[in-house]
Amino acid sequence: MTHPTRSRPALQHLARTVILYGLLVAFSALFLVPVLWMISASLQDQQGVFASPYAWIPASPRWDNYATVTTIFPFWRYLANTLLITLSVTAATLLSCSLVAYGFARLRFPGRDVLFALCLSTMMLPGQVTMIPLYVMFARLGWVDTFLPLIVPALFGTPFYIFLLRQFFLTIPQEYDEAALLDGASHLRIYWSIVMPLARPALATVALFTFVGAWNDFFGPLVYINSPQNATLTLGLNMLKAQITGTGLVEWQVLMAGALLVMLPNVAVFLLSQKHFVKGLAVGGLRG
Amino acid sequence: MSMRSPVGLASLLVCLHLQACTSGEPEAPAAVAIVYNCAANADEIRALEAEIPEFAARTGIRIILNPFTGQEKLYAMIAAGQAPDIFYTNTVIRDRFAAEGRLLDLREVARGDSFPERLLPGILQEGTSPDGGWYSLSNWSFTCGVYFDRKAFAEAGLRVPDSSWRWEDLRHMARSLTVDPDADGTPERYGIYIPAHFVEALELMNGAEIDRGALCARISDASAEVYQKYLALMDEKFMPDLRRMQALGMQPMQMLQTGRVAMLVEAVPHQGLFESVDVDLGIAPLPRFDGHTPRYFRSGSGGLSISSATKHPREAWQALKWIVGGASIYQPNPVLTDQDFVEGWEARYPRLLGSGFRSVWELSLRHPGGDPRFFVRFSSWTAPAILERLQPRLDQLWSRQISVAALRKALPEINQNVGRALRDALAQETLRPAFRAMIEQRLEEAEGGACD
Repeated sequence: MTHPTRSRPALQHLARTVILYGLLVAFSALFLVPVLWMISASLQDQQGVFASPYAWIPASPRWDNYATVTTIFPFWRYLANTLLITLSVTAATLLSCSLVAYGFARLRFPGRDVLFALCLSTMMLPGQVTMIPLYVMFARLGWVDTFLPLIVPALFGTPFYIFLLRQFFLTIPQEYDEAALLDGASHLRIYWSIVMPLARPALATVALFTFVGAWNDFFGPLVYINSPQNATLTLGLNMLKAQITGTGLVEWQVLMAGALLVMLPNVAVFLLSQKHFVKGLAVGGLRG
Repeated sequence: MSMRSPVGLASLLVCLHLQACTSGEPEAPAAVAIVYNCAANADEIRALEAEIPEFAARTGIRIILNPFTGQEKLYAMIAAGQAPDIFYTNTVIRDRFAAEGRLLDLREVARGDSFPERLLPGILQEGTSPDGGWYSLSNWSFTCGVYFDRKAFAEAGLRVPDSSWRWEDLRHMARSLTVDPDADGTPERYGIYIPAHFVEALELMNGAEIDRGALCARISDASAEVYQKYLALMDEKFMPDLRRMQALGMQPMQMLQTGRVAMLVEAVPHQGLFESVDVDLGIAPLPRFDGHTPRYFRSGSGGLSISSATKHPREAWQALKWIVGGASIYQPNPVLTDQDFVEGWEARYPRLLGSGFRSVWELSLRHPGGDPRFFVRFSSWTAPAILERLQPRLDQLWSRQISVAALRKALPEINQNVGRALRDALAQETLRPAFRAMIEQRLEEAEGGACD
C-alpha cells in the first residue's frame, strides 16, 4: 500500500488556511483583550485594578463585587424598567418598520419612491438637533419622567430598519402575493400571514439591533427620566461612576462587574439569534 | 377585529403599555414640591432620600430628586420651561444663565436671613456675577496640597515638608525621592506628580493675578515662569511625563498607592484618596515661590443655583439651605464657618490626625488665593473661544512640542477668536443690560489693544 503524498497545491491550500486562521485568531484575541480585562478587573480589589505588573487572574477573586453592584443602586428595579422599555421598543419597532417596509416594497402608489427617499434622508439628522424640540413636545404631553418618550417613537418606524426590511421583502417572490390576492386575502393578511413568516431572518436582525440599541441606550433615559425609581441600568451604571462633588472615587472593579452584568443579556440575545442574524444581514445586504 | 391581525396586536401592545409606562406611583400631595437636580451618585441619592421625609415633615417642603449630570438635559428642561428649582451651575455657565435672566438673585430670598453670615466670605464672592447679583451657593469647597508617602521620606533620610518649604525644596526632595536603579531614564519611582490642571494653583503661588472681569486670554510672566519650572520637573525625570500618564490611564492617586510616585499634588480633602490609598500619608501645603506671599488655592467648585422660573422661591431657598447646611451627606460642610470641618473629617478618617491635613486647611483659610480657574480662560462668554485654541497648545507645551514663547505668541490669534465670541454674545437680545454693558466695555478695550 502506498501512502498518498500531498500534492503541492494541497500543501499551499493548507498553509493558506493555517495563516488565515492564525490571523483571524490573532485579531479576535486583540478584540477580546478589553473584554478579558473587564472580566479580570471585575474580580479584583481596588488596588488590584491598577497593580503593576497586572495579575490577570487575581489571587483571591472578589466575587462580592457582583453582589455589591446589586446593592449600590436598585439593580432589580432598574433591570425591570430596562426590560420593559427594551421589549416594548423591540416589539414596536418590528411592527412599525415591517408595516412601512411592506408598503414600500409591495404597494404601488404615486410618490412612493420620493417618500422612501424622504424617509431615508431622516437618517442624516443627528439626534442632538431634534433633542430639544422633542423634549419640549414630550414635556407638553406630560410624558417626561415616564417610559413613553422612550417607547412611543418606536411605533413610528426607524429609517434604517425600514430600509433593511424593504430590501428583504423585495427578495420574496411577488407570485405569493398574487396567489393570495386571487384567494381574496387583503394586504394586511398577506403581510401578516405570508411576508412576515418568510422574513424571519431579517426580522431577527432588526430585533437584535433594536434590542441592543434600546438596552444600551443611555442618552434617552438620561434626558427623559427624572426620578431615581424610573431609571434604567445604564443610568445605574453611571451612578457608579459619578461621585460626590470634588472627592472623586471611582471603584473600577465594581463598575466593571456592573458593566458585565448589564452586558450579559445582550450577549445571550446575540448568541440565540446569531444564525438568523447573519442570514438576515447577508440577504438584506446583497439583494434587492 | 381579530387579535391575529397586526393592527389588533399593535393596539393591544399600546394599551397594555400605556398604563405600565407612565409608571406613575401616585405621590402623596404635599404643600410645596421643590425639584433638586442632585448628582447622579448612588450614595448621595440614598442618603438624601432617607432624610427628605423628615425635612418635609418639619417644613412642609417636599424635595424631589432629579439626578443627572451633563448640561444637555438641563438645556432641554429650560427650553421646555421645566428647569429644576435647584440645579448645579459652574463658573462657565453661571454668568451666562444669569445674563439671560434664568437664575434667581439669591439676595432677594436671603434678605433678613442670617444664613449668609455663616458662609466663608469667599463663597459669597465666588457666587457673585459681574452685575453684583448673587446667583449660586457653593455646597462644597476645597484647597489643594502635596500628599506624600512618609515611609519614602524616611528611607531617603528627608525631613517631611511643612509650610515653610519653597519650590526649590520640592525640586530637591523630588530628586532625592526619584529611584532609577538601572539608570535607564524610566525611574521605578518618580519624586512627584503634579497633574496639569493644578499648574494654575502654582501660577497663583507665583504671583499671577486673577482678574475675574477680564475676558481675553493672557499669560503673565509669573505664569510663564511656572510653566518652565513645571516642564523642568519632567525634563529632569523627577516627574513622569504627562503623555506616559495618559497612556497608563491611571488616576493620580493610584500612582501614589502603587509606589510609582512619592509625592502627589491633589485636592484637599479627597475622599477617594483617604479611603483607598493605604500608604503612610502626610499632607503639606503647596510650596511657596521666593519673593511671593502665600496665596493658597481655594475653590467653591461651582455651586447650586435657583431657577428664576421657580414658583416657590422662598421654599427653594429653604431647601437650598438644608442641602448645604443640613443634609448629612454634605456635612460637615467646608463652606460653613460655624462647623469644625477638619475635626469632622478627622473623626471620619482618623488617619488624618497628625497628617498635616489641619495645617493645610487652615493655611488656605488664612491665605485664601481664590480659584485660579477664574483666570480668564474660564469666563462665561469666552471660555469656549479661548479653550478650543489654548488647550491644544497647552497640551503641546506639556509634551514639549512647542515652547512657552510659542504659546504666548499664539495669544493674539486666540484673542481674535475671543472678539468674535463677544460680538456673538452681544447679538443675543436676551442679555441683561448690566452684562451687555460689561461685554461692550471689554470688547471696546480689546479692540483698543488691551488684549495684545
